Amino acid sequence: MATISEMYDVGWEEMRDKLRKWREDNCRNSEQIVDVGEELISEHASKLGDDVWIIYEQVMIAALDCSRDDLALTCLQELRKQFPDSHRVKRLSGMRLEALERYDEANKHYEAILQDDPTNTAARKRKISILKAQGKNAEAIRELNEYLEHYGKAAFCLEELMMTNPHNHLYCEQYAEVKYTQGGLENLELSRKYFAQALRLNNRNMRALFGLYMSASHIAASPKVSAKVKKDNMKYASWAATQINRAYKLAGRGTKESKCSMKAVEEMLESMQITMS
Amino acid sequence: MGEVELSCRAYVKMYLHACLFPRCGINGLLLSSGSAGGAVCVTDCVPLLHSHLPLAPISQLALTQVDVWCSQTQQRIVGYYQANACVSDSSPTPCALKIADKISEQFDNAVLLMLDGGKMTADYRLPPIVVYERRDSRWLLKDKHTIMLRHWEETQAIAGQMLESGDQALLVDFDSHLDDITKDWTNQKLNSKIAELASPANGNI
Repeated sequence: MATISEMYDVGWEEMRDKLRKWREDNCRNSEQIVDVGEELISEHASKLGDDVWIIYEQVMIAALDCSRDDLALTCLQELRKQFPDSHRVKRLSGMRLEALERYDEANKHYEAILQDDPTNTAARKRKISILKAQGKNAEAIRELNEYLEHYGKAAFCLEELMMTNPHNHLYCEQYAEVKYTQGGLENLELSRKYFAQALRLNNRNMRALFGLYMSASHIAASPKVSAKVKKDNMKYASWAATQINRAYKLAGRGTKESKCSMKAVEEMLESMQITMS
Repeated sequence: MGEVELSCRAYVKMYLHACLFPRCGINGLLLSSGSAGGAVCVTDCVPLLHSHLPLAPISQLALTQVDVWCSQTQQRIVGYYQANACVSDSSPTPCALKIADKISEQFDNAVLLMLDGGKMTADYRLPPIVVYERRDSRWLLKDKHTIMLRHWEETQAIAGQMLESGDQALLVDFDSHLDDITKDWTNQKLNSKIAELASPANGNI
């Protein structure tokens, strides 16, 4: 079988850089990471310098994701040799046990870490993952609440995330979705504001655009709002609808396929406008 | 209650949707192009989400858009499918029940279909699905004998073959469409591929 470097005509440096990009972007494209990483490790480990350790970790986790226990074990053993007392490596051992569904043993690993270092959040999170995997949702929630005791519920978490990451349009948009889901006029107005904010941060965020359209439309249709609020929200909704139509027209130009979705959106916007007026 | 028939196209797309996002909860809508009375023939499905299933705005949006598309194409929404992220648990979540309830408001014989991740292995002989119907305002397990998959072996073979070829990468769900609106959530390309693989002698598959 052809190697990655043969198939894609890339050198080891490009493969290493690709792995780095995927690490930085937190991608979970495990099959790709295994393909590229396995080759990089087996053919070029000596050239990687100190990067080799973080690559072993990255490939190991991806290998677990793809049921490649052989590869995961190889990576783990290298890491154990190099960092014999490391909590970080111990956590990786735990993750491997989780992948093999040996949950009790995995838990022992994490408890050992927490005994040594009670503030180790990575180990705490793994314990919660085990509960989730076992379907013990009530317990997972209890542990999660303890872990998040300063944070409270989802909306509050997102608020913290937004404060520390003010430019991240995704958190903003997710927060808006949570507020919309919670419902009620006040939450709807908040959701509209945050959809708008998400759009300011990234004017191509379609979810935010649709969200703005829907929240503004619902507010405008509510019998509880003043005439001014109704008028303002109809303006926001109308603006959003124009942007949506424009985006879909642009999308429809290249491909035949998106015509179906485009027509569906057009009709949907028309029908929603009729119910609003 | 009545019989439910699941077409090859609907099953294969649900299956590929689950395979495309093995670590996420996924959901979608079941459609029928058949007439309203008699057995419910699920002829197609629209994959919807692979993230934040319980959040309202995008679900609402998707339901509305699919509804509109259905009226343009003489189809109707007859059910809902979901696969949970946790493979060992295939029970319907509150979100699944809520959406299924909404669908049954518009269609009496709506079905709620859960994909059983634990049974999706290559060697499993039976369809990895659990089907519920609405009786006395609750969603209860449907009698297995009222659930039909014609040409099941062929359907299973097609699904397996497409998975081997990596065809699940061609599948577009509503979530992916919102990330790139040039992508087609009606999956015309995939439908053609499935039709090609299905044997021509079987006609309406």
